[in-house]
Amino acid sequence: MADVKKHDTPMVDDLKKGPWPSFADDIEEKGLSGKQECLDLLGQLELSFKHKETHWKHGGIVGVFGYGGGVIGRYSDVPDMFPSIAHFHTIRVNQPASKFYNSKFLRKLCDLWDHRGSGMTNFHGSTGDMVLLGTKTEELEPVFYDLTHQMGCDLGGSGSNLRTPSCCVGKARCEYACIDTQEICYDLTQTFQDELHRPAFPYKFKFKVSGCPNDCVAAIARSCCSIIGTWRDDIRIDQDAVKAYMAGELKPNAGAHSDKDWGAFDIQKEVIDLCPSQCMKMEDGELKINNRECVRCMHCINTMPEALRPGTDTGATILCGAKAPILEGAQMSTLVIPFIKMEPPYDEFKDFVDKVWEWWMEEGKNRERLGELIQRKSLQEFLRIAELKPIPQMVKEPRSNPYVFWGEDEVEGGWKRDVKAFRARHAA
Amino acid sequence: MAVNKEELKQKILEFATKKAAHKSKMYIKDLYKADPNAKPREVKNAANELVREGKLEFFSSGSTVMYGVPGFGKTTEEAFE
Ligand code: SF4
Ligand code: SF4
Repeated sequence: MADVKKHDTPMVDDLKKGPWPSFADDIEEKGLSGKQECLDLLGQLELSFKHKETHWKHGGIVGVFGYGGGVIGRYSDVPDMFPSIAHFHTIRVNQPASKFYNSKFLRKLCDLWDHRGSGMTNFHGSTGDMVLLGTKTEELEPVFYDLTHQMGCDLGGSGSNLRTPSCCVGKARCEYACIDTQEICYDLTQTFQDELHRPAFPYKFKFKVSGCPNDCVAAIARSCCSIIGTWRDDIRIDQDAVKAYMAGELKPNAGAHSDKDWGAFDIQKEVIDLCPSQCMKMEDGELKINNRECVRCMHCINTMPEALRPGTDTGATILCGAKAPILEGAQMSTLVIPFIKMEPPYDEFKDFVDKVWEWWMEEGKNRERLGELIQRKSLQEFLRIAELKPIPQMVKEPRSNPYVFWGEDEVEGGWKRDVKAFRARHAA
Repeated sequence: MAVNKEELKQKILEFATKKAAHKSKMYIKDLYKADPNAKPREVKNAANELVREGKLEFFSSGSTVMYGVPGFGKTTEEAFE
């Protein structure tokens, strides 16, 4: 066995007793195979449990030349006890669109990381990157060289940069995809290389791309700019397939809930009554949808995928301003562009992004996310700079969130109307 | 108004060096003040060029990135070693 030293870690070992596999097992196994870093990491974790405080320091001028992101410096504050993790920097690696790999790539990456780092990885970070955990400062440039020259990949974003854009599997595997999420993700990554690698903004900025309103990458909850595929024509209906579902010949939800007997499929109860805008009905044995009222919730399509499909006039809905912060509550993206055609080279979309960034770079405070700036300055102001027209969909319910106000120049008589004369005609 | 890039770089460097005497790390927003006529993106591009030339350096906390002037203030590396 390799010459490594395991620390005494009773509290960490306790974590192995639960019913689920524990990271403590995995890290220890890796350590005993010859990685002292892993055992030192567990040793320091034990110390942190004992002291009830972290023994990591983070930040610093670590990085690869010319890049302001992609590496997150980390140092042990008890390096004498755990010398192998005195430096323990994290490297973020830009994942391929939709996270498609072949095993050759992954093997090579693991070999590289075993050689130059702790061998520990996190697939994937919440932004989407492949995360390589723990290496020394002097290994950063060699790792970067190997990644870019041998593996054909690049560092991801960190810091006040554009973060690595991410997308759902899209057209590669999913018939619901209304836009080519991978192409969009790749194009944005390439177009905004400078923003991705060098600090440009008051804080982080995230793009996420989902192919349809099922929103598998949770763009609406986690990105400053959410791009979500949609359609503006009618849901395609195959009436024969609808009948096949009703007759029990096709399994609802593609059989996803078939581990329990839910009884015969009831289209009224399971689809029509659950449509949030109540825009479906059966008429003369045919399913009818009032598409004008459909809010693209995807429920009916998810339930009867062989009978219903998104329309063919497809594009994206753009929403802005989500964040999932630690201190204040989470915030979802707000709809700003109900429909935009998303076709290469995406000029219309990029024009919009330019306007938004310019405003945010100018007005945003240090460490203020776009969503917070919109809240502080009002959606109205945001729409003005983005040159968008306010529309009813931006208001959740009348009067409950009056984001959109009238300006003085938009009201007859401005603010100088004679209130007395008005009151003479209308009781208060 | 478009600004001459070399002049802007000079202004940023002077501004940052002056500031670094009492505050060694600054946000990109602080650097905007080096030339109020320059657009944020122009400042960003100029500052990044200065980093490439080794006259400024990045300081990253992981969640944000700041700029520093080499030689001013402790680098975290030194502070931790
Ligand atoms: S978001 Fe829609 S298109 Fe993308 S993988 Fe999920 S269901 Fe498919
Ligand atoms: S997608 Fe949703 S809102 Fe539209 S018709 Fe189907 S269930 Fe109704």
